[in-house]
Amino acid sequence: MLKIKGLNDSLVLVFEKGSFEDYCSVLEEKIGANKQLFNGSRVIFRGEGLRNLSHDEMIKLQKLCLDNGMILNNTASETRLKEKPVSPPNTLSAQPANKTVPPAIPSGNKDIIIHRNLRSGQKLHSEGSVVIWGDVHESAEITAAGDIIILGTLGGVAHAGYYGNNKSIVFALNLVPGQIRIGNKISRASDDQTKRPYPEIAFLENGNICVQEYNSGKLPRR
Amino acid sequence: MGKKTAEGQVIVVTSGKGGVGKTTTVANVASSLARLGHKVVVMDLDIGLKKLDLILGLENRVIYDIIQVIEGECTLKQALVKDKRFPDLYMLPAAQTRNKDDITPDQVKQLCAQLKKEFDYIFIDCPAGIEQGFRNAIAAADRAIVVTNPEVSAVRDADRIIGMLESANFKDIKLVVNRIRNDMVKSGDMLSIDDLLEHLCIDLLGVVPEDQNVVVSTNRGEPIILNEHAQASTAFNNIAHRTLGEQVDFPTFDDITLWTRIKSLGRNMFSGR
Repeated sequence: MLKIKGLNDSLVLVFEKGSFEDYCSVLEEKIGANKQLFNGSRVIFRGEGLRNLSHDEMIKLQKLCLDNGMILNNTASETRLKEKPVSPPNTLSAQPANKTVPPAIPSGNKDIIIHRNLRSGQKLHSEGSVVIWGDVHESAEITAAGDIIILGTLGGVAHAGYYGNNKSIVFALNLVPGQIRIGNKISRASDDQTKRPYPEIAFLENGNICVQEYNSGKLPRR
Repeated sequence: MGKKTAEGQVIVVTSGKGGVGKTTTVANVASSLARLGHKVVVMDLDIGLKKLDLILGLENRVIYDIIQVIEGECTLKQALVKDKRFPDLYMLPAAQTRNKDDITPDQVKQLCAQLKKEFDYIFIDCPAGIEQGFRNAIAAADRAIVVTNPEVSAVRDADRIIGMLESANFKDIKLVVNRIRNDMVKSGDMLSIDDLLEHLCIDLLGVVPEDQNVVVSTNRGEPIILNEHAQASTAFNNIAHRTLGEQVDFPTFDDITLWTRIKSLGRNMFSGR
């Protein structure tokens, strides 16, 4: 069925197992129940169910969203990537005028490196990994599709593996965040934090977020 | 006394959180600079919640306000209120019956451009918050003073404000720590100046100790700098001097005991002074 979640200013429509008709009726019902919530919201499509939808069905769902004032924020949707091979590559490459079609960018190009502190209220998002030469203050937010590496103090919220990559890590020279999120897991700092003046790394292990002292000899399996 | 510098400077005093002492800082630092002979104007941009006229004790002299100037009902000169104590201090009052959305950053810029010709220093009293009022207040400013209290909520808001000022390309952002209590810092119950500076990473412009005299003088509508015995008075005067670019040491505001006197005497002897 269809679930709706809020995530960083966006609404995430999670398509679990179900039929196209079910999705439509549930979505229409939810929109009808609370028009204001949807109007003007950014929407992300996600979930297993999307794989079973045809191109036309996807378009109908997207049109339903657009008609109700939503903004499609699907740049990172898994389905898009999956649908790419549908267009025959031979015809594309044969056309000289296809320069406007961007080539598949290797993920390495999307990494961000910044040389400043992130202050309260400032947000940074990367479609790749992030390296920060500086501190991330409390109530600042970093989200990244890949890893987050902070050469300084992490006090804010870090979300690595934003699109569900559970192999992502968070690293900081001083790791004291209120929350760490990796993939779809969230962990909260314990209320009585001790001072740990050594670099630490956070990663997912058996579905739990582990934090341990950084040791290049004992890295989590990637 | 006339204007001393060719081009006036616009300084915005802001904090994010309310009640940390923005208006008190504006009133006292501006008064102190005016007492030193600089032509100073204070502009209250907390439209709808004005307080600056109260703290300066000029409430009953207000005839026109900033909205009326912007809407062309009166001239800028007519709206400026002359201070009753310092002849070089003027105030541009806010309107109480309107709100912050009634003016735009561009209008503030135009006003400041006019004021710059007449005054050495233009202080802008910024409203709390980060909305339209804040954007209006920083639009024309050349420098920013961020006021904070040594408590986590005020520091968090200050951090946010500094971030926004940095994104607005402010190069000169200075910190004023207000209402610090040395006894509580010593016992570890209050954030120290070092804690604040380490977290906020900006230069310190002044430290104002908690002082009951401030409440008294605020209620009377007199700047605290008129009370020479108050610790806060010294602090605000120092801030005024540092605003001019002078180097002033930071006094510790400790209770001066015999023992600290002996210690400082010894230190001075050994350092050869």
